Amino acid sequence: MLQDNSKFLNELLRMYQANRELGSVWVTMKRTNLKPRRSKKDYSGLACHCLVRATDGRKKLSTVVEGRDLARFNESYSTILKGHMDSLKKRVRHAAKLAQQQ
Amino acid sequence: MIVENWDSFYQQAVDLYRNNPLKTRFVTKYRHCDGKLVLKVTDDSTCLQYKTDQQADLKKVEKLNRVFFELMATGQAPAGASEQDHFPASNACSYNDQA
Repeated sequence: MLQDNSKFLNELLRMYQANRELGSVWVTMKRTNLKPRRSKKDYSGLACHCLVRATDGRKKLSTVVEGRDLARFNESYSTILKGHMDSLKKRVRHAAKLAQQQ
Repeated sequence: MIVENWDSFYQQAVDLYRNNPLKTRFVTKYRHCDGKLVLKVTDDSTCLQYKTDQQADLKKVEKLNRVFFELMATGQAPAGASEQDHFPASNACSYNDQA
């Protein structure tokens, strides 16, 4: 189901939170001209937008980002990523330094 | 295909997209419990993957996100992330050919 950008981001945030203990979250982006799949009309004149989908294997989210909303969307998206991808390893060099201090 | 080197992944990913903009998708998979992040770019015939568990890679991922958003929504690479930063001049002409 297509959602507007802010709703999508809220739901994405919740999805990341719900999958902290166990599970993965996939976020897909691709270019789309929003053309109906089986239509024979010529839609090539339509401008392209960025379709963003997210899933955790159970729930699906999707939204379409247009050029003018891009900066705002990207900023919020980056904030979400930075806030939630915190189980990645810190630099090894840093860890070694900490060990030395102790 | 798994690409270990970030720069080569970045370059091949953008290349793949430019060859087939309407078919190429960019997937980010994050698994918190294992602390793993996988990036995938595919047009259903070629598949490029980059795997990481390093926090430091997040910055690069962010940049790639921005490039792809920008490419997909406006059709142009962002002004800030000019290709010259990433691609040496020798590669520039091949991009023009494909565009």
